[in-house]
Amino acid sequence: MSENILQLFTSELKVINIGLELFRDALEAQGVDVAQVSWQMPIKIEKEYEDILSKIL
Amino acid sequence: MWFTRLSIIRNLVKRNFRRDSVQLLHLSEEAKKISGIKDAAVVMGTTTNKEILTRLGLLTKEGEAASDSDMILAVVADSQPRIDEGLNQIEEMLLRPPTAKGRSFYSVEAALQAMPGANLAIVSIPGEFARDVALKLLDKGINVHLFSDHVPPQHELELKQYAKSKGLLVMGPGAGTSIIGGKAIAFANVVKKGKIGIVAAAGTGLQEVSVLLSEAGLGISVGLGTGGGDVKTKIRGLMMLQCIDALERDIGTSTIVVVSKAPDSDVKKSILGHIVNDTKKRYVTCFLGPENYEIPATARERVKGTKTLHAAFVEATRNSTTDGQQGTAKQYTFSRNELAALTDKAVKGLSDKQKYIRGLYTGGTLAYETLIILGRLLGPVYSNAPLDPKLKLADSYRSTRDAIIDLGEEEFTAGRAHPMIDPTIRIIRLMEEAKNPEVAVILMDVMLGFGSHPDPAGAMLGAIEEAKKIAQADGRTIPILAHVCGTEQDPQPLSDQEAKLNKAGVHLFPTNAMMAIASAMISRRGTLDKRAMEDIYSHFLISF
Repeated sequence: MSENILQLFTSELKVINIGLELFRDALEAQGVDVAQVSWQMPIKIEKEYEDILSKIL
Repeated sequence: MWFTRLSIIRNLVKRNFRRDSVQLLHLSEEAKKISGIKDAAVVMGTTTNKEILTRLGLLTKEGEAASDSDMILAVVADSQPRIDEGLNQIEEMLLRPPTAKGRSFYSVEAALQAMPGANLAIVSIPGEFARDVALKLLDKGINVHLFSDHVPPQHELELKQYAKSKGLLVMGPGAGTSIIGGKAIAFANVVKKGKIGIVAAAGTGLQEVSVLLSEAGLGISVGLGTGGGDVKTKIRGLMMLQCIDALERDIGTSTIVVVSKAPDSDVKKSILGHIVNDTKKRYVTCFLGPENYEIPATARERVKGTKTLHAAFVEATRNSTTDGQQGTAKQYTFSRNELAALTDKAVKGLSDKQKYIRGLYTGGTLAYETLIILGRLLGPVYSNAPLDPKLKLADSYRSTRDAIIDLGEEEFTAGRAHPMIDPTIRIIRLMEEAKNPEVAVILMDVMLGFGSHPDPAGAMLGAIEEAKKIAQADGRTIPILAHVCGTEQDPQPLSDQEAKLNKAGVHLFPTNAMMAIASAMISRRGTLDKRAMEDIYSHFLISF
């Protein structure tokens, strides 16, 4: 079952970095192909607005 | 920081406004350079940040009222117009769109579509949201390095069970370090390639062992961090076992080092049982703690048990090298006489009042290793992260007797960049310790590598000089010891970093364990319990 993992050890890294750009910069400095996801926290909606929205939508 | 009476301090609070801690660190550095501004900080309004702003003389009652989700813009200047101009400029910086570098996406789905062959993801988002993102990635067959903390244990278990069923890795939560394909992931060093694989539930433990092996002329095939939660009863070492199985099959790995703070006893038993009964390669186990643990006599030739990072390094070297390389490794263990000679001058400069050790660590596992060694040599040692809960400092911001501080713990990092990136918290603490006439010796780690501060030694030099001046003005000298954990190939080359510290009069040690023993010798004027010292050399610096 560890074929995927063994492949990871020997393949060229292709990384998706979700969050701290520091890690993206570090990998790019090492020549690694990186796709950066600028993740945003889900917007918190107050309960009463959520109820209204759920009726409208 | 002390400002003149003419200085004005102003805090502007932006409600529900977030940026990540590393972005804010860079922004603070930029803000300090604004013309007319004497000092500035841009931080989230966590209790930790407010405590630090207070110590820097930068907090006002407006900032005091900020909450965790608010941002505080703190500035100091000579006049109101300069304050206003400074705040305007900081607000403009905050609104500036990030410079587009490489490929950037606003959703995981978009990134997955753009990079169909992705084989690893690094996730560093707030822990409560990590599960959903990680599941999405595992679904696509992507291994996950989960840096996020505060992931509920139930989520960790679910993620790791799912990863195991798909033959994938979930490293973390709280995984600080991995080395894959010769690349440093998150906080890791540039190490030589070789045949030693490391699995670690202790990030800076992986860094110390990999760096020492690399500098001694050996190399690393793969280094995998599992996160500290993996070796708790709830998770049952799921990922550690998965990593061991993978390294056991990896043809590029001949010796495997397993590093962890002492796992829960049932997990330790199961990991050791697996290594002894189900594997064939050579192993060095390093379960950090004061106690020996049982390795069956039949396996002792192949599986070496150790309880410090230093010993794990020594045994991995013995396992894998030619005589020449073993000779190199021997240089890392100083004899008692060598240590006495090295510390003799420091001992002679101490006044009678100077009794205690203060350790200011950024690497948690290194702090833990020091507690183990000092515990054996000196008895009770206080800490904010102690071996024995009874020795927990009542206030992490105030040391008592012999004390080892892990500055990477939650109370120092909530809403802030880790002290391996942001030296502020250690600089403040060093000043405070230097003022205490009972402090005999200060020790610190300097962590190099990707992820860390671009010049961690240089960032401490001003504070080291200031600490020495404080002591001197009081008729004392304070020996400062350091261990630089890094390699010559790191972005901050080891020799450059060591040279800076050496020039500043800092005593350098090749391993953290050696520095810990030296600090004990200095604080006790070279008179340590002979049996304890014998035990350290025969059971703590080599396999037991």
